Parts: sequence; C-alpha cells; structure tokens
Amino acid sequence: MDKLIEENLMAVLKREGLQPKAGDLEQFSEIITLYMENLRQLHSIDLAGEELAPVFRPEWKPTDSK
Amino acid sequence: MVVAEKPLYYLSIHEAQELIKNRRLSPVELTRAVLERVAAIDGRLHAYIDLMSESALAEARAAESEIAAGRWRGPLHGIPIAVKDQLDTKGAPARIRQFSKGVGDATAVRRLREAGAVIMGKLHMSSLPGEFPLPRNPWNTEHITGGSSTGSGAAVAGGLCLGSLGEDTAGSIRNPSAFCGIAGLKATYGRVSRYGLAPLSWSLDHCGPMARAVEDLAHMLNVIAGHDGKDPTSSALPVPDYTAALRLDIKGLTIGVPREYIEQCAPRTAAIVLQRVNEAIAKLGSMGARIEEVKVPTLRLATIANAVIYYNEFWAAHKRDAAWVLQHGAAQRRARVYLGLLTGSADYIQAQRIRSRCRTELAEVFEKVDCLALPNQAGPAPLVKDVGPIDTLYKHVQPEFHGPFNLTGLPTLSVPCGFSENDLPVALQLVGKPFDESTVLRAGYSYQQEMKWYEKRPAI
Repeated sequence: MDKLIEENLMAVLKREGLQPKAGDLEQFSEIITLYMENLRQLHSIDLAGEELAPVFRPEWKPTDSK
Repeated sequence: MVVAEKPLYYLSIHEAQELIKNRRLSPVELTRAVLERVAAIDGRLHAYIDLMSESALAEARAAESEIAAGRWRGPLHGIPIAVKDQLDTKGAPARIRQFSKGVGDATAVRRLREAGAVIMGKLHMSSLPGEFPLPRNPWNTEHITGGSSTGSGAAVAGGLCLGSLGEDTAGSIRNPSAFCGIAGLKATYGRVSRYGLAPLSWSLDHCGPMARAVEDLAHMLNVIAGHDGKDPTSSALPVPDYTAALRLDIKGLTIGVPREYIEQCAPRTAAIVLQRVNEAIAKLGSMGARIEEVKVPTLRLATIANAVIYYNEFWAAHKRDAAWVLQHGAAQRRARVYLGLLTGSADYIQAQRIRSRCRTELAEVFEKVDCLALPNQAGPAPLVKDVGPIDTLYKHVQPEFHGPFNLTGLPTLSVPCGFSENDLPVALQLVGKPFDESTVLRAGYSYQQEMKWYEKRPAI
C-alpha cells in the first residue's frame, strides 16, 4: 500500500478512536490500492454544472411515521 | 404428493397458489413438504440460519382454516416464503444489527404476513460471523451461491422455500439469482419499503423478491410494493397489478443494448457469459422485439461511484459499532469500514454528481427504448475454494453490470439464459425505466416462456 494512503488511513482511524485489527492493513492492501486508483478516476470527468442527485423525496412528511 | 411430475417443494408460487385457491393442495401439506426438503438437504446447502418450523406450521394451519372458510387472501396465502437475514422479522432481528433489537417485522415481511404467506425462517447472508457455514450452490455444492443474498439463492434454487425476500446494494439479489439459476428483481428505489432492513447503504439498498419463475416475482411484488410512511424514501406512486403485464408478449418493444459498456466490462467477463447473453438478445429479437445499440458514456464511472457511496454510507451507518466490527466483524465488513474512512466528502459528492449524470443519460436513452438488456454476472459461480473473504469487493470497484443500476435506482430483473460448459447457470439482466417494473417483467416472462430454462432443476 502507498505510504501516504496508509498514513492517511491510520490518521483517520486515530481521529475516530479506532484500531485496525492486527494484520488487516497487509491483508487489505491490494483492495485499498485498487479502490484508491479507481477513486481518482472518479474525478477524471468534467461534470461542468452537474448537481447532486437528490435521493430524499420531498413528498414525505415526518408525521407519516407516527 | 407430486403435481405434474414435480415434487411439491419445486412448485412455482403461481402453480401452488392455483392449487391452494381451488383447495386441491393444503398449505400444511406444502409447508411440510418444504420442511422435509430442508431437513433432507440443508445440511449440505446451509441456506437457513434460523428455521422457524413450528411457527411456519402454525401459520400454514391458520391459512388452511381461513381458506376452508372461504377467506382466501390472494396468491401468497399459504405459500412458504423465507427472508434474508438483513430484514428484521419478529423475534429474529437482522444479525448485522449488533447492538439493536430491530423493529419487529420489516414492512415487506409484515406485508407478506398480511397476504397470508407462511414465513419459513431467516436465510444466510454474506458478512455474518464465521460460525455460520457458507451456503453452497444447489447446482454444484463445490461452488458458491453468490451474495450477499447467499441463503436466498440456495434456498429458492434447492426447493427450500417457494420464494424469498432479498436485498441488493451492489448486485446482492441479481448475483445469487444468476449463480443459482433463479429469477430475481431489484425493483425501483422507493418501490419497496426499506423499513426494518438493516442498512448497508441507505441510498443504494433495495428490497426485492427472488423466486424460480418470473410470474412469482410479479405475485410477490404485488404484495410488498407500495408507499410506507415509515420509509422516508418510499414512493407514493400507485402500484399496478404486475401480473397483468405478463399477458402481453414482447412484439413492439424496443430493447437497447449498451454494447460499448459491455465491451468495457468484457476483459473481466467470461466468454461463455457474453455468448449466452448475446444468444438471449438475439432470441428476444427473433421473438419480435426491436434491438437497438445505445450509448451511456458515464456508465464507465457508475460502478466506482456506487462503491464510493456504498462505503461512505456504510461507514456512517456503522460508525457507532465500528470498534466492534474492526475487532470481531467479518473481513468484508472490516474492509468496508477502511474504504469508507478513506473516502472524502468531495469523493462522495462527485459520486452523487455522477449519479445525476448517469440518470440524465439513461433518461435520454429511455426516450428511445423500453428496456435495456445486458449481462448479469462476470462468470459462472466460482468454486468455494477459489473465493477469498473479500473477493466481492474487487467487483464493486471496477466496471461491472450491477452497481450502475443501484446507483440509478432503476428496476432490474435477472432471468436465467442458459448454462456454462460445466452446467452452471448464466443469466440475462433487463433494466427498465423508473417504476416500470411491468415492462421488465413482461420481457423476462416472454423470454422465460420461450426458453423454459426455469424448468431445469439441480440434481441435488
């Protein structure tokens, strides 16, 4: 795993008060590397003014669940 | 009792409901036949993690009494159905909710009960603790069932229930349906309530039916679809009778084939899958559908966008129990936490914008075509011994055939389209316009009736 990615992961784990399971970083090194490579691809496209896809449906009223 | 040269446990829901309605088959007899089948072969398939024999027989007896008194509730009355463990069921909350008692019956489960279905029990899913053995594929028990609705695939294909409720975040209904040679439907996001479903990713999770025949999916969807005030993303759109669409053939339908995207996935797709799917598409053409090539340029980024949203929402959903997951959880769950932690807010937002772009591009395509046809799986079910604990995650992060339709929330049907050289099932995927489950069911049913793949049964 890239040193920078590993340091970043250890920093966010620490921030969240978490410890990786022993051996996990070695076991998951390949998938983490592949994921981070593909994550970079995500930003390879110019989406111009494209906005977020809304998921929440505005017709829902909180009182429905009562 | 054997009906039409078929043991009771292999009846389709449609066949069984006709017999039950006409009082030629007792729900108790049917439930007993399924329980005997479970006793005979689930020691090899490992589909159930919680078999509810006593309550199932009690529900079957109640159904029998009601039907005898002239109060037949509908096609699921007295039908044995099992539930993926991810859905809460009264007395059996989803096990992946480590520190919560769940909600009792999930809405989809409650609706099945209200329709008179016999709830057989809870089925295995990926990411459960290692104490539960991995389900085996009824077509060849040396092979996996696919996940994460692992138990649902094994149970339906093996005759351990007549239908199952599954869940799909990145292919978890369609992948085991394909590997196990059954039909599975991921309905449009918002069509089936997620209330009582332990979340993997709130905006990608879809509940849906799995069964041996397409008409069975229509019967189940008729019951579980519809608005639910307890799910904020539930749609208020009216629910049609999905069985009505099955009376139409596919003449006049235009089916789009995203050939360019299929080519992008081809290096990671087995040749036999591409061959069987091409044969199925040609068959749809010869049956009267118009086949047209379509382009959806941003689909190439849809799988990774789906993964980014999945892992980020997974991390958020499991933040409170992350310390436990990292020390005691299954490898897949631990890996999802790490990947979620590595995903930044700009990544998540970019993925949501790609989601928006994909929806726009697909909406334009759907102005010209009625549904899309493309492969479902990367290959036939692999051998158990060849699959590592996090192999599924590799599928999630490179272009493939499932994630794009969780991302866009479109209704997607898996229907068997033949077998590999070593007799393992291969499936076709049909994708429809938002809330147009009827058209994919219609196309899938027409194809099924023409080819009859669903009549072939595993030898187990």
